[in-house]
Amino acid sequence: MSTVIKRIWQISLLIVITMAMNGLVRIFHLPIPGSILGMIAVYLLLQAKMIKLEWLETGGSWLLSELLLFFIPPAVGVIQFTHVLKADGEHLLLAVILSTAVVMACAGLSVQYIAKRKEKGRT
Amino acid sequence: MITGLISFFLTIIIYYGAKWCYARRPKVYLSPLLVTPILLVAILSWTHLSYQEYHAGTELLSYLLQPATVAFAIPLYKYSAVLKRHAVEIAAGVLSGSVAAVFSTALLGGWLHVNPQMIHSLIPHSVTTPIAMGVSERIGGVPTLTAVFVIITGLAGAFIGPWLIRLLGIHSEVARGVLLGTSAHGAGTSKAFEISQVAGTISSISMILAALITLCAAPWMDSIPIP
Repeated sequence: MSTVIKRIWQISLLIVITMAMNGLVRIFHLPIPGSILGMIAVYLLLQAKMIKLEWLETGGSWLLSELLLFFIPPAVGVIQFTHVLKADGEHLLLAVILSTAVVMACAGLSVQYIAKRKEKGRT
Repeated sequence: MITGLISFFLTIIIYYGAKWCYARRPKVYLSPLLVTPILLVAILSWTHLSYQEYHAGTELLSYLLQPATVAFAIPLYKYSAVLKRHAVEIAAGVLSGSVAAVFSTALLGGWLHVNPQMIHSLIPHSVTTPIAMGVSERIGGVPTLTAVFVIITGLAGAFIGPWLIRLLGIHSEVARGVLLGTSAHGAGTSKAFEISQVAGTISSISMILAALITLCAAPWMDSIPIP
């Protein structure tokens, strides 16, 4: 099977899984998105050796390497909110950037702190 | 129909063009996630094509974000040994980052006199789009506006992440991955994969964990005091 066909086939398989999971979420009114449920399900199936990595790897890796492309259309959606951004744009942007920096510092430094303590505990 | 096809192909052509340029000059301001939307917004406003028409043509592309999210199971499975070894650090880092995201956004929004509905749209900005939109709706924000803040966060994260990593002296791959994935979801994770496979995988799990934590915390977010 050529790589392109394999890729398309595996992507279709991932789409079918997504649709099935979205269906489950709708039927049972689950509070999480179907895509996250799908990821957890595929992970568990891989761990349980019920599906093989090769069945999904080519298509899955392609989707992940082109991930940014799928963010483009929603990003263009900013065009609908020009009035909001004109009125309050600098403040909103400042809030997003500063809080992102705060999150980074908290996450990064706490990991580093715990890793150091763990190392000390070992020696 | 025609405008839909044009929107679809234009998006793909500009994206791959931007990607080609970025591969030759990897500067943050040339990142396809920045250049492509700016060019497309310019083209839309220049040609008076409505966002609804553009959206109809590119729905397939935004839809693929969902199977791509499912595909994150693949690196998670491949690197599960690394993840298990660092489970405690990752969990603690993501938890502290996620709590910081909610409170810092509420505080900063309040101090900057952003209106309350806007603050609610802003609060889940650090996590991946589908979750952020769901949380936003639940706490009284505007989901589509939240999607925009999520993208801006991704861009901002990709910009300041590497700089902050140097500034704070974050040397471990694990810490770098957690830092990028917790703060800047898929865009941060894509940056983390530029650092290394390990940082990227840890960033993927951090992104997922952050999304789950934020989702579970959503029912309590109504009561967060906004100064």
